[in-house]
Amino acid sequence: MINLKVVSPQKVIFEKEVEMAVLPGAEGDFAAMPNHSPFISSLRPGQMVIMSANKVDESFFVSGGLVMLKEKVCEVLVDQIESLSDVNSSNYQQSKTFQELEGNETALGTFEQVVNNPPYK
Amino acid sequence: MPNLKELKNRISSVKSTRKITSAMKMVAASKLRRAQDLAESSRVYADSLSFILSSLAGNTKNSSDLPEILTGRENSKISLLIINSSDRGLCGGFNSNLFRNAKNWISEQQEKGKSVKIITVGKKASSFYRKTDLDVIANFDDLNSNDKQLQVSEEIKNKIMELFENNEIDEVSILFNKFVSVIAQEPTYQSLIPLSNDEADEEMTDTSNAVFEFEPDKNELLEYLVPRNFLTQIYRSVLESSASEHAARMTSMDNATRNAGDMIDGLTLTYNRTRQAFITKELIEIISGAEAV
Repeated sequence: MINLKVVSPQKVIFEKEVEMAVLPGAEGDFAAMPNHSPFISSLRPGQMVIMSANKVDESFFVSGGLVMLKEKVCEVLVDQIESLSDVNSSNYQQSKTFQELEGNETALGTFEQVVNNPPYK
Repeated sequence: MPNLKELKNRISSVKSTRKITSAMKMVAASKLRRAQDLAESSRVYADSLSFILSSLAGNTKNSSDLPEILTGRENSKISLLIINSSDRGLCGGFNSNLFRNAKNWISEQQEKGKSVKIITVGKKASSFYRKTDLDVIANFDDLNSNDKQLQVSEEIKNKIMELFENNEIDEVSILFNKFVSVIAQEPTYQSLIPLSNDEADEEMTDTSNAVFEFEPDKNELLEYLVPRNFLTQIYRSVLESSASEHAARMTSMDNATRNAGDMIDGLTLTYNRTRQAFITKELIEIISGAEAV
């Protein structure tokens, strides 16, 4: 198990033990698992997925940020995050992230794409 | 002999002042709790970010590889000071302490042959520095909600990035009241450009056993990190300053409430004495009148 800690500039959003977390790294998705080599990467807008036993537990949209991976700790510094279980293709336009990212072309495109067509199901 | 009517009026006016100050104290106390929570919960992000930045900068052996915005320019000529004041008064020495401190700092810089530019945050600083002959570049005020605080931090960050790129400034520092405790706030400087190292040094011992891999490469990562770091540091100083403001207001309003109480006690005593004296005087007049008959 690896300790996943998601932090926004305002607060700690959650902190929990997970088996595996898949993160949208700047140069491709990667999975954070225990005993990963120490690693720092920036994030592109995309989907963050928490998995256990090869199944998706939870998925989130992140608008970008940073991740610091150590042996047992994975710290994700996000700009904005939205749980995708609360957002689906019919109501994403009401979500706070969507409204805040509206007009931001790259992120808007990705948010819509991620919601309508998630890479992991 | 003081007039009874006058005394009564004064007592009631001091009483209503006391009501106001004690209400302000309670408002400040509840706002302080919220501001303190915010300041504490934002610390996690700021700490992680400065940890990442220091491990990134520390890994680059040759400091000349680092971009100017991290190390500062050689022969810096123009320093920028960001002053975090409050929007409202009635908070004791909160703002005046800050301005006194800033004045010393500015004259120190000028002795070193640097010119100083200023960005003010809060209405008190903008009205104070409007009267001086210092070069005030921008004012930001109305920081009453958290969203607004974040937005203003973002604007300040963009401003300093732009100024630095246009060679209009060489150094940037922030001045804010650091929240030490409810009764103590301390004017504190933090250097943004060049990046202050005091925190980084402590953390470096931590990093020595873990050498990080970076993705994308360091320079690209730095490009992303440096503005982000400015934003968090500015945001943090704004939050600290707002927690300090409420704390300062709470203590000064507490004092004011107590002083008003003392004043009411004193005035009530005089009032009663005067009233008693009037009664005695009247009695003497009646008795001596009766005796005369």
